[in-house]
Amino acid sequence: MTYPIERIRNFAIIAHVDHGKSTLADRMLQATKLVDARDMREQYLDRMDIERERGITIKAQAVRMPYEASDGSEYLLNLIDTPGHVDFSYEVSRAMNACEGAILLVDAAQGVQAQTVANLYVAIEAGLEVVPVLNKIDLPAARPEEVAEEVAALLGGDPADILAVSAKTGQGVPEVLERIVAHVPAPRGDVDGPPRGLVFDSVFDPYRGVITFVRIIDGILRPDTHIRLMATGFHNGIDELGVISPEPRPVDALGPGEVGYFTAAIKAVELAKVGDTVTDHVRPAPQPLPGYREPTPMVFSGLYPVDSADFPDLRDALEKLRLNDASFTFEPETSVALGFGFRCGFLGLLHMEIISERLDREFDIPLVTTAPNVAYEVHLDERTLKPNEPRVVTVSNPAELPAPNRIDHLLEPVVDAMVLCPSEYVGAVMQLCERRRGELAKMDYLSEQRVELRYTLPLGEIIFDFFDRLKSSTRGYASLDYEPAGMRRSKLVKVDILLNGEPVDAFSAIVHADKSYEYGKAMVSKLRELIPRQLFDVPIQAAIGGKIISRETVKARRKDVLAKCYGGDITRKRKLLERQKEGKKRMKSVGAVEIPQEAFVAALSVGGD
Amino acid sequence: MAVVTHAADAVVAAPTPVSLPTPGAPGVYVHVPFCAHRCDYCDFAVTTGADALARRRSVAALPRELATVAAAGPAAVAPRGAAGVLAAPDGAADIAGWPVFGSVFVGGGTPTLLDADDLAGVVRAVATALPLAGDAEITVEANPETVIAESLATLVAAGVTRLSLGAQSFSPSVLATLGRRHDVSSVASAVTAARAAGVAQVSVDLIYGTPGERDADWHASLRQAVGLGVDHVSCYALTVEANTPFAARVRRGEVPDIDEDVQARRMATADAVLAAAGLRRYEVSNWARPGAESAHNRTYWRGGDWLALGASSHGHWQGRRWWNVRPTGRYLAAVEAGGAPVAGAEVLTAEQRRTERLLTGLRTVDGVPRAAVTPVDEAQIGALVRAGLLVDDAARLRLTPAGLPLADGIALRLLPARERC
Repeated sequence: MTYPIERIRNFAIIAHVDHGKSTLADRMLQATKLVDARDMREQYLDRMDIERERGITIKAQAVRMPYEASDGSEYLLNLIDTPGHVDFSYEVSRAMNACEGAILLVDAAQGVQAQTVANLYVAIEAGLEVVPVLNKIDLPAARPEEVAEEVAALLGGDPADILAVSAKTGQGVPEVLERIVAHVPAPRGDVDGPPRGLVFDSVFDPYRGVITFVRIIDGILRPDTHIRLMATGFHNGIDELGVISPEPRPVDALGPGEVGYFTAAIKAVELAKVGDTVTDHVRPAPQPLPGYREPTPMVFSGLYPVDSADFPDLRDALEKLRLNDASFTFEPETSVALGFGFRCGFLGLLHMEIISERLDREFDIPLVTTAPNVAYEVHLDERTLKPNEPRVVTVSNPAELPAPNRIDHLLEPVVDAMVLCPSEYVGAVMQLCERRRGELAKMDYLSEQRVELRYTLPLGEIIFDFFDRLKSSTRGYASLDYEPAGMRRSKLVKVDILLNGEPVDAFSAIVHADKSYEYGKAMVSKLRELIPRQLFDVPIQAAIGGKIISRETVKARRKDVLAKCYGGDITRKRKLLERQKEGKKRMKSVGAVEIPQEAFVAALSVGGD
Repeated sequence: MAVVTHAADAVVAAPTPVSLPTPGAPGVYVHVPFCAHRCDYCDFAVTTGADALARRRSVAALPRELATVAAAGPAAVAPRGAAGVLAAPDGAADIAGWPVFGSVFVGGGTPTLLDADDLAGVVRAVATALPLAGDAEITVEANPETVIAESLATLVAAGVTRLSLGAQSFSPSVLATLGRRHDVSSVASAVTAARAAGVAQVSVDLIYGTPGERDADWHASLRQAVGLGVDHVSCYALTVEANTPFAARVRRGEVPDIDEDVQARRMATADAVLAAAGLRRYEVSNWARPGAESAHNRTYWRGGDWLALGASSHGHWQGRRWWNVRPTGRYLAAVEAGGAPVAGAEVLTAEQRRTERLLTGLRTVDGVPRAAVTPVDEAQIGALVRAGLLVDDAARLRLTPAGLPLADGIALRLLPARERC
């Protein structure tokens, strides 16, 4: 039995971090009586440890809530909880496409944030009916009237119509449910056509294989359907067809408009990617749903085991992680300084942090992570081309940038960035963006107090610490969102770092020519702080194409010996030495120089602001 | 300080050549835990206060412990399954199986806080209980203010050949910072008295790098020590040990923390001044007139064997280490009850023995036989040699004068990477 399509409502919640999305979802689970107070726990839908600890949603979740509305009919509300972060904007867009409506949830104290606006545009683009809701109206700092004006300015309409809730206490939540029933359109679909379902998330389960979350557009999936995923070509019989309500529960059919999951002995999420279309292998749909694309890594970093003997373990760990995250990539690479490792590609900085944290937490392999960078498009000088060498190459590892005399020009990725901030910080934000080579595209006043700034910025300038700087220069009031905006020609050079006269490829960075001296100097002095004194002097140099632009020296230790070593001192000293030897495992030896792990990333916080 | 320092060694400039004990012969360490007071930087096992009773009990307990250890023979201190008897070079061994011992070191504490007759009795007890070479080096540690001529005569008569004096500094302000209570002039009197009494070798201990000490203070201390004509000088960088009043003062910011670079400079000054006076450095912290090196302390650095007696003392025999209980009261109670005062023991693995040989052997100017420490991280050797820190001939690894002050860091580098299991 499929659910009557006219009584289905599919919706997402758009909200900034900490604006109360997960709390509102929790209250809805209670208001629809799906979860009673006794079984309630916070962030009910967030399953991963990292999600709960950081208070963020990484994976999308869908929950089916039968709801008896005030008109006396039962409706099926499907809440699709999406990740909010800019790194996952593609996943957000797919989740939105699985809905007909979206709640725009705004903190009544903090007001509209950039991430909210960006996701709102995604929702509008996907044709969703937007239901604006103010949250945290019980807070003393709440200013519901002003924020309602801001929201109305974005959406149009009357500020007085905007619902106000306290997700914490549950106040106003029933009204939200009623508004969804009344305003969000029912889905439409062809129940008799070949099945087409939009995959909006997939999660790896070690026992059952991949659990694929799907919104049915046309046709019906049944437990005996032999499914096919149209982009990857994977096909197999369904093992289990079900819905989350609020725990997984098998069903005997999913029809148009319904949201649920299936398992089909799928061994890795890359076989069931977000955005793919599921159909019937025997009676396939002629066309997949529009909008699928391969995930594109934007940020790259080298991951190296501190102990080179851990290399096979690291490979195993990356392969395991990739089973449940198809959006990060890795391929082996070799560094003169660091030995064998992997160049990994991530959707963004948060994504990179999540992967590194999971490697550390779930696999316990001491790692050196090199500073994140972007991928450059290198146009080689025709006259230097070797036979069969392509004229354009992509470089995602700065160490691999060809020699300056071989480069005709370079392109770097840029983004369209949106910054929302209170008007008194406009100056500070502009200053920061200009130092990061930003070009102002547009500036709008959302209200008298709030300004929207749009900049074109090189992605390489914002991946490392831009957000932190933005926050600190606006007392935390600014918010940021961005989307890729292609490649732009730039005057870039590679700055190399030499330790003890030897170039350490893992420290190489590609920076704008105008900032290269400043960068080299800052990097050298930062490394001088980070590298501990050793048995030898360690000269640190920055160089561009063989020309030394900066130099400092970590002076050798002059004394490293216990004064007394008699009778009982010997055991103590041996034990100390054994402990120190363990500690050395956290250091990477490059030539004769021992470098602490954190130097490889921390060194990059030289930003130059 | 409770000068513990089992290390001090000094030798009186003996006019006649000192006859050396057989190299490799084992030693005996006797700990006397009493001090008049605890110095501010001291974390040794000492008992302060005028506890005459505890002293008398110790005088009785030490010979009793000695007799028990001696009777049990080397099998009781060696690792199980080891040969037990270390064949002395001349093949001699006594009834219990002991080889001939080449050195005795009575350290503390302040051994000279005991009555001279009692201290002499302890020394004689060693010679009675164990086979001792006729030319054995017998050292007693002393604080300058506790040394008086008559006592010295008694000790020499009992066989004492070396006196190790805890001078620490000749600068009154430095002595005050250290919490030392002796008078600068008492060092000279003590040396003179020792020579008069016929002590064959006199050593002084000095401490450098004390906060507030200036380069000139240290230089003057060295000059004064040399001026006394001692044959052996030990120079120790002041170390801030946890749980000492000194550490607390550093923590509270009342005195500056130790400056490693300053200490390195002082160490170099010591080497220069002492070398000019004919004292050759033979270990990181020890200088001696040729032939006056401490046989007992060399045993520690060559992986040799020694017995340990008294509270908190540590012994070693063929790869087994053991240690006595630390509190004096518990030590006395154990011995008086007829039991062993041993608190714990460990048998070293082959890898641990190599590590110990490396860390102790590199401290000596003669270095360490390669065979005793192999495998080491060969990849590091080239860099250390090129940096002028290490000399690598086929037979031995030894540090250069530039390498000695970095001995611990170099040992750490040379330790091989642990095999993965």
